Amino acid sequence: MGNLSAGAFLVALSGIVIVFLMLAVLCLMIPVISKCVRMTQKEASPAPAAVPTPAPAAPAPAPAGAYGGEVALIDVDEKTAACIMAIVSHETGIPLSELVFKKIKAL
Amino acid sequence: MDFSFFGTLGRILSESGFAAFADDPRNLIMILIACLLLYLGIGKKFEPLLLVPIAFGILMANFPLTGILDEGGLFKYFYFGVEHAIYPSIIFLGIGAMTDFGPLIARPSSLLLGAAAQLGIFTAFLLALGLGFLPAEAAAIGVIGGADGPTAILTASKLAPHLLPPIAIAAYSYMALIPMIQPPLMRLMTTEKERKIKMEQLRTVSKTEKIIFPIAVAIFVILLIPDTAPLIGMLMLGNLFRECGVTDRLSDTAQNALCNIVTIFLGLSVGCKAVASTFLTFETIKIIVLGLLAFMFSTLGGLLFGKIMCKLSGGKINPLIGSAGVSAVPMAARVAQIEGQKANPANFLLMHAMGPNVAGVIGSAVAAGFMIKVFGG
Repeated sequence: MGNLSAGAFLVALSGIVIVFLMLAVLCLMIPVISKCVRMTQKEASPAPAAVPTPAPAAPAPAPAGAYGGEVALIDVDEKTAACIMAIVSHETGIPLSELVFKKIKAL
Repeated sequence: MDFSFFGTLGRILSESGFAAFADDPRNLIMILIACLLLYLGIGKKFEPLLLVPIAFGILMANFPLTGILDEGGLFKYFYFGVEHAIYPSIIFLGIGAMTDFGPLIARPSSLLLGAAAQLGIFTAFLLALGLGFLPAEAAAIGVIGGADGPTAILTASKLAPHLLPPIAIAAYSYMALIPMIQPPLMRLMTTEKERKIKMEQLRTVSKTEKIIFPIAVAIFVILLIPDTAPLIGMLMLGNLFRECGVTDRLSDTAQNALCNIVTIFLGLSVGCKAVASTFLTFETIKIIVLGLLAFMFSTLGGLLFGKIMCKLSGGKINPLIGSAGVSAVPMAARVAQIEGQKANPANFLLMHAMGPNVAGVIGSAVAAGFMIKVFGG
């Protein structure tokens, strides 16, 4: 049938196995990297008492009571932040309860 | 001075492209195909950013007597970038700069879904061989199943340059048709209960992890399969621009200006190779059909592995995200999100599906690298 041969099946099988193996190794590699990064960061971060804590940024209001997280506002007023969060939620179709904003910064 | 107005007019007409259609009317058919593709791109918005330049390239290439494809012709030089894998690699730089690998780093098992969704590549390869294509041609056709246009173009340019236009057109057309191709398969392969599964929120990924990821992937994958260097190297460089925080201007250029410029050249170059003599053949129809099958098998592969992961995780993973393992970013992830929400309006799968989706980009590049290694000569 056409150019099908046992060799062709072997190539196809080897191909999918190699793709799986390669991505499986990456799959194992990522947690190792993450662990190393976390360990390094833990070691590098000085004792909390030694670090002057920056003034906490104002938490944004929870628009319509739906957004429960805290967000750092940098040069942005609460009203604008609420608008931005509502727009992002609307545009992405992600409910505000599912979105996590870390900071909103004026550029 | 001897001058006859009607004589000159007659000569202009007899030497025009219109008259040349009589020599090869197939050019006229290609012009109609180009107009149809323009309609699909503009009217139906099927991957317009690529389909419009491809269609216009076809239009230009099929005007008789222009010499645009001959030595010294404009398109001859444009095509250099395809021939030498320059355009697909630069597009990958842009894709890397646009991609957030965060969801993948947060759930590394997504990579396996991206691998399973390459099933279509190898199935279509076998089917193409069965239909009488040569092994290198079959490999190039199979890569359509990766749902990754630049990868399909790069592989075709290396393994079967004469099949490049139908392969590129099939790849981009089916990528645009993913919202129609995937949902019936998703519903067929999963139960209502599985589609309703709500997945746990992903952990936060640190900046350092995001910076190390592209470097580690580039080192590991390229060292193992050097043929993936143009694609994986550029993809990861683009991502490093995005994540490292000190190359914002480069990231912006890669995502926007550079990517847009190269998209124009890539589209025109692919289109200009679709001349009647090579495009209007039975092979083209076979490639279009094989491309569709490749997409379907890739989706099935992702869904099947999604089901396996669902079982192994004790029902914590929604198998719908497996379909996003085909690398059409972010279309396939959006389809998973839509189908998940249809089953359970409170379901939110987009970020979970982005993991397999970007894993698919890496997976298809690896599969293409494998094919090039085996059949590249």
